[in-house]
Amino acid sequence: MREGRGTAIQLAPAAVIFFGLFVASSVFYFIVSFWSVKLYKLRPDFTFANYAKAFEQQWSVLLFTLELALAVGAITTVLGFVFAYIVRFKAGRYGPTLLFVAIITLFGGYLMKIYAWKTILGNEGVLNTALESLRLIDAPLTFLFYNPGSVIVTLIHFLLPLAVLPIYSSMRGITDIEMESARDLGASAWRTLSDIVIPRCHTGLIAAFALCFLVSVGDYVTPAFVGGTISMIGSNIQDMFGRALNPPLGAATSFIMLFASFLIVLAVSALIKSWRPR
Amino acid sequence: MTKIGDIVWRCVGGFYVVFLLLPLFLVVLFSFTNRGIAAFPIEHLSLHWWRAMLEHPQFLPALKNSLTIGSTVGVISAIVGTMAAMGLSRIEPRRAQTLTAILCLPLMLPPLLLAVSLRTFYTQSAGIPLTLGTVILSHLLFTLPFVVLVVYARMRNFDYRVVESARDLGASPLHAFFTVTLPIIRPTVVGAALIAVSLSIDDFIITNFTIGGGVTLPTFVFGMIRTSLTPAANAVGTLILIMTVGTTLIALRLTRYRG
Repeated sequence: MREGRGTAIQLAPAAVIFFGLFVASSVFYFIVSFWSVKLYKLRPDFTFANYAKAFEQQWSVLLFTLELALAVGAITTVLGFVFAYIVRFKAGRYGPTLLFVAIITLFGGYLMKIYAWKTILGNEGVLNTALESLRLIDAPLTFLFYNPGSVIVTLIHFLLPLAVLPIYSSMRGITDIEMESARDLGASAWRTLSDIVIPRCHTGLIAAFALCFLVSVGDYVTPAFVGGTISMIGSNIQDMFGRALNPPLGAATSFIMLFASFLIVLAVSALIKSWRPR
Repeated sequence: MTKIGDIVWRCVGGFYVVFLLLPLFLVVLFSFTNRGIAAFPIEHLSLHWWRAMLEHPQFLPALKNSLTIGSTVGVISAIVGTMAAMGLSRIEPRRAQTLTAILCLPLMLPPLLLAVSLRTFYTQSAGIPLTLGTVILSHLLFTLPFVVLVVYARMRNFDYRVVESARDLGASPLHAFFTVTLPIIRPTVVGAALIAVSLSIDDFIITNFTIGGGVTLPTFVFGMIRTSLTPAANAVGTLILIMTVGTTLIALRLTRYRG
């Protein structure tokens, strides 16, 4: 192209960071998953024992985590779709404001969002104290908190902006002319949605689901704050690098988790793509 | 479209806004309580917990570390990301998009995996001690893609003729960049850098695993909220929110980036 060598030089620093840090650390992490631990020290090795052990010890937690993350991914994608749909087609002049709210809540306050739900749902939280002061209940409703439901709500809250943006950018490609022609030709609102809007949002929907699902699968902060005794795979992996001090086992668990998540993302993408106009 | 339908859609939109903002609003509100717990009722507003935050021995180191990491990450990712985006804008769009997608891979991994694999890499393979430097390096992995995406979007409709005129008039490529290209794209670059700063200041998971001994604002507040609902944590959290939302707002104005 125009300036071949110049282009290569411009791309070089980013490539060095990407390969020297991301690729190198990922490859090394994969290698470590075959190592063993002797007296709290890592030893280069080539053993599948970590995988066997990780599978045996963690499969029920993994299954639970995948189910929960699937629920979060699905619900957040649907909610994100509805939000993007309102912004694009229904909110009129309020559309930009709605989008603005989604964008400013995207980049900040990860810990604060989780903490906020602890403040809301906890035994001495906003919901319980409000209900008590209204004399609707005598003792705090303990079921609000420390259960899969509270984890799901919290994850949806902080992932929603992340789901809205890719779906919205897909929807921007749909012109008003297309929507109007569909209506003029007698298509019902549902038919327009199902035959025009959803098929055109495939990429956005898949990106939204993949992001929300993958972040939920690996999260350990949310269950630590609002999950109580719930064990998620992320909490266990984090533990293997902390108290349990067994990075090879943690690495093996990570790759099993990643592989399973990858299969689910593929399956859901296929499902989304199978939604075609009649 | 019927009137009732409009009202229903508006209510749904309003519900979303409340759902997104109310929890954050509560965190901010409870930082001004005079009671010892982050809960209603608030008897009267007070700055007690903000003072408690300022007097905490770990607060100043945390603030200093967050600012150091955030600004360094912002500057480095702005330089490296702008260079990459300019390089990408000169190659064929399809290939450029593939390369950008590859660069975004670190964003597709659960942050925990990125964190533990980087930690293992630093400590076990390279023998690099965990410091602020390792945190800065690690943050670059997830801030760079944003900078590249935003600046690349700007470079795609950049009018190269102005640069070519400068070159024809005898400017060296670097001279042309600093006197022509950079002044034109500066708002976008600064905006992209601010997005990187805000992502960096907000990050907890990767920082927690790659920092070794020190604290940043998020790891500091994490230690506080693990144990209780002390409103001092709300004050720190509000400060983080002000810093991240503030930089994002300025970034949005500068880049006019909309999704």
